[in-house]
Amino acid sequence: MAADAYAIELRGISKSFGSVAANKNINLNLRKGEILALLGENGSGKTTLMNMLSGIYTPDSGSIFIEGKEVRITSPDDAGKLGIGMVHQHFKLIERFTAADNIWIGKKDSGFLLKNSRNKEIEKIAAQFGFDIDPTKLVMNMSVSEKQTLEIIKVLCYGAKVIILDEPTAVLTIQETKKLFDVCRKMKESGHSIIIITHKLNEVMEISDRVAIMRKGEYIDTVESSKTSEKELTELMVGHKVDLNIDRPIIEKTKPLLEIRDICIDKDEGTPAVDKMSFYIRGGEVLGVAGIAGSGQKELCEAIAGLRKIKSGKIIHKGENLVGKSSKQISELGIAMSFIPEDRLGMGLAPSLSVADNVMLKNYSDSFGFMVDRKKARKEAHEIVDQLSIVTPSVDTPVRRLSGGNVQKVLLGREIKSAPNVLVTAYPVRGLDINSSYTIYGIINEQKKKGVGVLFIGEDLDVMLALCDKIMVMCHGKLMGVVHANKTDKEQLGLMMTGALNLVDAKEGKTAGIAKDSAFTPEEWEEATDMSEGGSEE
Amino acid sequence: MMLDVITLFIFNIVIYSIPLLYATCGEIVIEKSGSLNLGVEGTMAIGAVFGFLAGCSANSLPVALLVSFITAALVGAIFSLFTITLQANQNVTGLTITTIGVAVYFFVGNALGKDWPYLPDADKFVQQSSAIEIPGLSQIPLVGKAFFSHNILVYLAVVIAILLWLYFEKTSVGLKLRAIGENPGAADSLGVHIVKYKYLHIMLGSGIMGIGGLYMGLNLGGTFEGSNCWINGYGWIAIALVIFANWSTSKAIFGTFVFGFFNTLRIYNAPLAATFPNALGWLSKIPAQFFSALPFIVTLIVLIVSSMRKSKNSNCPTAIGLNYYREDR
Amino acid sequence: MKSFHLIRRSDVTLKQKVLLYILGIVISFVIGGIFLASLGINPIIYYRDMITIGLIGNRYPAKCVEGFLKLFVPLIITSVALSLSFKMRFWNIGGEGEFITGAIFAALVAFKLGPVLPTTAVIPLMGIAAALAAGVIGFITAHLKVKFNTNETLVTLMVNYIMLYVIKYIGETKAEWNFFLRDDSERPVFAKFPESAMMPGIKIGDFTLLASVIIAILITVGVYYYIKTTKHGFEVSVVGDSTNTAKYAGMSVYKITVRTIFISAALIGLAGAFTAASSGTISTDITNNVGWTGVIVAWLSKLSTPAIALVSVLISVLQYGCQVASASYPSIDHNFADLMQGIFLFSILAADFFGNFKIVKTGGKNDA
Repeated sequence: MAADAYAIELRGISKSFGSVAANKNINLNLRKGEILALLGENGSGKTTLMNMLSGIYTPDSGSIFIEGKEVRITSPDDAGKLGIGMVHQHFKLIERFTAADNIWIGKKDSGFLLKNSRNKEIEKIAAQFGFDIDPTKLVMNMSVSEKQTLEIIKVLCYGAKVIILDEPTAVLTIQETKKLFDVCRKMKESGHSIIIITHKLNEVMEISDRVAIMRKGEYIDTVESSKTSEKELTELMVGHKVDLNIDRPIIEKTKPLLEIRDICIDKDEGTPAVDKMSFYIRGGEVLGVAGIAGSGQKELCEAIAGLRKIKSGKIIHKGENLVGKSSKQISELGIAMSFIPEDRLGMGLAPSLSVADNVMLKNYSDSFGFMVDRKKARKEAHEIVDQLSIVTPSVDTPVRRLSGGNVQKVLLGREIKSAPNVLVTAYPVRGLDINSSYTIYGIINEQKKKGVGVLFIGEDLDVMLALCDKIMVMCHGKLMGVVHANKTDKEQLGLMMTGALNLVDAKEGKTAGIAKDSAFTPEEWEEATDMSEGGSEE
Repeated sequence: MMLDVITLFIFNIVIYSIPLLYATCGEIVIEKSGSLNLGVEGTMAIGAVFGFLAGCSANSLPVALLVSFITAALVGAIFSLFTITLQANQNVTGLTITTIGVAVYFFVGNALGKDWPYLPDADKFVQQSSAIEIPGLSQIPLVGKAFFSHNILVYLAVVIAILLWLYFEKTSVGLKLRAIGENPGAADSLGVHIVKYKYLHIMLGSGIMGIGGLYMGLNLGGTFEGSNCWINGYGWIAIALVIFANWSTSKAIFGTFVFGFFNTLRIYNAPLAATFPNALGWLSKIPAQFFSALPFIVTLIVLIVSSMRKSKNSNCPTAIGLNYYREDR
Repeated sequence: MKSFHLIRRSDVTLKQKVLLYILGIVISFVIGGIFLASLGINPIIYYRDMITIGLIGNRYPAKCVEGFLKLFVPLIITSVALSLSFKMRFWNIGGEGEFITGAIFAALVAFKLGPVLPTTAVIPLMGIAAALAAGVIGFITAHLKVKFNTNETLVTLMVNYIMLYVIKYIGETKAEWNFFLRDDSERPVFAKFPESAMMPGIKIGDFTLLASVIIAILITVGVYYYIKTTKHGFEVSVVGDSTNTAKYAGMSVYKITVRTIFISAALIGLAGAFTAASSGTISTDITNNVGWTGVIVAWLSKLSTPAIALVSVLISVLQYGCQVASASYPSIDHNFADLMQGIFLFSILAADFFGNFKIVKTGGKNDA
């Protein structure tokens, strides 16, 4: 038994939060020296399950076996002692500490006094595992992939034999993901067992030996990666057959609705967020915005919606300059913005307020007099709830009690309710399951068919390639180029996202991002009759 | 004569700054662990009243020290119980600690009020805390006596401040503690026992505050009048001083000296004005209440100016004031 | 191996919560009783006198009710005002300072205009002066908070002490200019207000119902509807919930914060003016710690206006009752009320915890 025992075996694990069962009777095993992908939609309970292995949560019932022996994990300390290390999706790093100190905190034999030689020591240990780090670099000055590397070194340093990676590729570029997978393979060769949590099918196929699938808190099955297909995995994950194709209706495009010319925007700290970008959106098209997180997407959205100061440059909406207008004036012109931040509730919705109150958030001041018109708000809320089939006990329920998909529907629903002609939507499917995501794509296409110009800021390149007409790539606040979605691929977009490929500079004699039929000069406007040719990015 | 006045003046600055140093150091320990305790005033009051009583009845300074430390630490344990185990709001818990602490002070004071100012051994007990002259250093002209002929509690405060600084900066345990104040989730995932660390350090910090309370009882109070608590707002000044000292116990030594200076001006402005009528004569015209308010005015200015400057090198623990519950999602 | 851990729960019914709170209050009384017994006081008699605010067997019951209302009026106004601040997550703990400011400015008007104007003019002017002066303090703190993110807890805390020394300075300095003090006394003593600056009231037999009581109730009802039904109230809840969302909705966070905190501070100033006009003078301890108690009341009530009204009544009964009940025992004074108040709050915090969390034993291998 002991010889071929699993590295980890879970039997009948259950865990619930309040009345919500996050994990129901889970059985799962991990072989020694394999890479197991844990696949499931958001909210299927993958992270909860893994957090029970790493000691963050304690199971309500069930047992855990490590190499055939039953163990109890009640704290991260227990997990560490048993050789389990987890790299969390939201890094558990102390921003103000150096790389070395971040590792030092968890070292068992660190001694009482803090020796200055600890930097050298950490550097040496990292080198043993094949990593080259600067031990005195502060975490706050690190890039995302550097932070991830630090997290991996951390768990290796503490002698973890089983390494759990929670959505490690969500924040990485294609190239960085490749590097990470190389690291994983190397760790596997040196005898480590690895669990990767993910919901990206192509990655599952590329890296894993076996795939375990979870759905709605339940364990479904484990299959050999080499004997399955993306289609089969999706069906296991979603529970029924799905049509993986995202619709891209072809709509006759109209003149540029929103033109952005040489725009410069600062971050909160005063450093440039967006640097001299020019682009435009036509009615009836979806323009995707790709880029690594924090490349200036948020600031761009806020600037268009009038929430952030524009340092220089112009935003022209149907010939009218928006710069200097208040967010209220801009939304009255028909520009709607919905932004789903990482915590999903921070912007656009007030979580403790009811659905109805959130619906009236943008037009509460239109009613006459000193009082708010809750009657109208509740009526509108009912309409949105019916239209988008939002699941909520009532329109008086606080938004925070709704599930993620329904929260996002409330937000999008409110924006669409104002009948916009430009819809800026950032990460609208963040954290949603496949079905909800498709509903949202449907809503976006619906708007597009109505002739609305959509700016779609997304994370998943596969989705963007399928949904968007054109994709614009940003890197460190600079425009890297605008490409037609059906004439590009992930590889090219990845290179552009890291700044390795710049199509703007490569073009000669043309200024990227400026429409031929710009509203700036009426003469050109007359000439540009052939809409299908699009802009100057060709 | 002139020299005597200056020496006495500096001597008194030290006296007035020491209770603040205890309280500030205590609060820094607590804030480093990520908790904001607004109950300094109450914690000091408890340490003061029980320490003093125990000291009197046992006629022993070490007993007083120990009792003031332990009782105040128990108050810290109550704060920990509510904010850590029971997840209650830290501001409200701290304010309640102050309300209860001061109320207990008066309760005990009133219960024993008849005997209080003349506790049979109070005089002898206070004498035990009389000055220790540091050989050599205390002979330095002008400042020697001012700095180096104090009672043991003064030196102890400075030693505690320096030891704490070393503890935070130079030990692994201190590093872990700071990690908790910065990001408890990260520290927890590395196997640092958050609950144990927080409880112990809140109790340690509270205990140190308690000694500060005892010191106030010995040097500034000593008699129980019934209407004014010995602590008299010092606990609140300490909370301000933590900011002034930028969460460093070594800077707190300097910061408390500045605040002690204001307080001393209030009491010694008359002799100073009389000794230097030309240069400092104007001092006597300034009302005493202004000097009393000065620490608060200065802190207010420091608060406003530092926030206007948006100083980036603030050492304020990132997770301060937030409760940590491991299973929060 | 046995161990316990906590789980958040959301399955507690209102009835269970009320029961938990009642249990908390009972435990508080038991703890307080132990304190009392330790001083040789019979807790049952003491509590009886306290809860009935001395009405039983009293020849002047009207005086008891008046005394109770004197504590109740400033407390309910201050707590309601503070709840407005707290709704915006603005930790205004400057009730004490704002209250004193109001009292000083009310006294200023009383002494300067009282002799020349009738009551119908002086009292409103006192209220306006007090509200404006205290409101300015609120305005400045809010301005600093929004513009520079200055910590409002500490700023208001400092202002409390600065204002305390200002009123002490006025009250302890005998000088030519100081019209706040009595002329005919060698020692510095605050003077009585002129007759026209006294809070008017309606006589009902022995009992005088002061106008301030009616206004306090009107303010409470007004704030309730202000929060519930007005655009301003809606803005307050949005800003309190998420400033990002408020900005996103096109609200001016600056305007809303400054306006709300101004109102909050102005109401507390008004409470100061009422207290001064009701007693016809000011003193250095005029606040009776209402700035601190208000924080506790607002928090105990979870910022709900009706709950604040209820808790204010209870705390006022506690405070006034303690005064009455303590009158016959030399070894105890009104500080016992503070002690009880603190114990109550702790019990409620503990009750909250058991309403929100469940302690679960995890141990053994007897799992399903």
